[in-house]
Amino acid sequence: MSTPERSYETASARIEEIIKRLDSGEAGLRETLELVREGRELVELCAGELEAVGKGLEELRLDELVAHLEGPHAP
Amino acid sequence: MHRVSEMRQDRPAGLDGSALKGPFPVGEYAAALRGKLRGFRRVQVFGEVSNFGKSAKAVYFELRDVNGALPCSMWRSDYDRLGIDLENGSEVVLGGGCDFYPGSATSSPSFTFRATDMRVAGEGELLAQIERLRRKLGAEGLFEPQKALPRPSLPRTLGVVTGEGGKARHDVLAGLRRRGWEGRLVWAFVPVQDRRAAPLIARALGDLVATADVDAIVVARGGGSVVDLMAFSDETLCRTVALLPVPVIASVGHHTDRTLIDDVAAVSCSTPTHAAETAVRVHCGEARTALLAHAHRLRGCGHRAVIERARRLSDLTRAPAEHVARQRALLHQKLRELRAAGRRGVDERRGASGSQLTTLSRRADALGLRYGRAAAAVPAGAADLQRVCTSALARRARELERLTLALSAHDPDRTLKRGYALVADADGEMVTSAAKAREAGKVSMRFHDDSVHARVEEETR
Repeated sequence: MSTPERSYETASARIEEIIKRLDSGEAGLRETLELVREGRELVELCAGELEAVGKGLEELRLDELVAHLEGPHAP
Repeated sequence: MHRVSEMRQDRPAGLDGSALKGPFPVGEYAAALRGKLRGFRRVQVFGEVSNFGKSAKAVYFELRDVNGALPCSMWRSDYDRLGIDLENGSEVVLGGGCDFYPGSATSSPSFTFRATDMRVAGEGELLAQIERLRRKLGAEGLFEPQKALPRPSLPRTLGVVTGEGGKARHDVLAGLRRRGWEGRLVWAFVPVQDRRAAPLIARALGDLVATADVDAIVVARGGGSVVDLMAFSDETLCRTVALLPVPVIASVGHHTDRTLIDDVAAVSCSTPTHAAETAVRVHCGEARTALLAHAHRLRGCGHRAVIERARRLSDLTRAPAEHVARQRALLHQKLRELRAAGRRGVDERRGASGSQLTTLSRRADALGLRYGRAAAAVPAGAADLQRVCTSALARRARELERLTLALSAHDPDRTLKRGYALVADADGEMVTSAAKAREAGKVSMRFHDDSVHARVEEETR
């Protein structure tokens, strides 16, 4: 099982936090720039995850997958 | 059993005086009977199961009610397909017809109602079975592991276990389309109703986890009777699901149905569409829009943070220069005012000086007048002055002569001329007594014309 999905959730939640903090206007210049940098990285991460599930539905059959793995060309 | 010995194949003579046909070989009659019984109309019968037993090829039981009973059997292939665990006391409806096994030289004949289909009429019993198993699994804590698994909101790969020809498949796809999800979908098509279903579903779940690297699995099946859905209450299947390391979202039957897989799964949904939407909690289109908005806001925040502060800094940087410029302008203004004031002052003083000059001029004129008058008075004054000077000179000459005479009276030379001498020692000090003369020994004596040196000698008296 891959883990980036959990990263998507934590990333999107963190982005919300960052936006909230920035909107509060309480962050100083250094903190603002740090938050913006972190936010941009998280946006990139989320965008990557969304792109991974946005390139067209890929349908596979488990029996074919298993047959392929158990077939003569299986590792 | 008595073994039939070498049988005679010759037809024996019939009963004396009997009008019945025959005699026929029993096997021939039995076969004819089988054919006759199989010719009976196929029907449905219902009753309670008793004397239930199994063999490798078939299950056997008696179906009875208060008025009678019927020996029944069912081929294992048909029985297993149903997914029912019959027990004595179960009320069932059987579909089938009469059959007769004619036996053989070594086996007994038997009549049976050959059931080819069956439904448990009293679902209460099946539900009671399910409930017993539910309590058992619950007591073992098997309802919790799946619910404790982290469930990704945006899975990349989904596994779906369902019937290949069922409506559930399309419902799952509809749910995923609604989410705008276009990831990797691995179909595990399995029987979802008969007795083979449970082990195949369990195997498919294991294969999905092992080979397809799925992030979540949807198990979907449309509605059906309790018997139809029994596979999803299978104990082995439910234990497999409970211990699976990947979250399972179950949608089996209608919302009123409650199979055991609903209890052990991470989430139970009422429809396959809902299950798909639960597996993908993020609406991908909306998430992309929101993400763009976030990115835009972050850009804006970063831009504002720098630009606004830079502008403020720039303002602050300009402030001293502007302050200096203001002060300079102020000073220039002051200077201009000062110059103007100076000019005014000069002009005013010039005016004042003019009047003073006039005054002075007047005064000068007045003085000139007075000088003229004084000049006119000078000759008379000069004569007076000459007279005063002459008088003063005469007076001072007389005074001088008197003082000269006084001084002459005190001149020592005049005394010396009268026969006195001045005695001095070798150092020039006046010797004014005999004692000092004796002490000096040698003295000089000054007379009015010259000096002589003398030695003091004293005769003894």
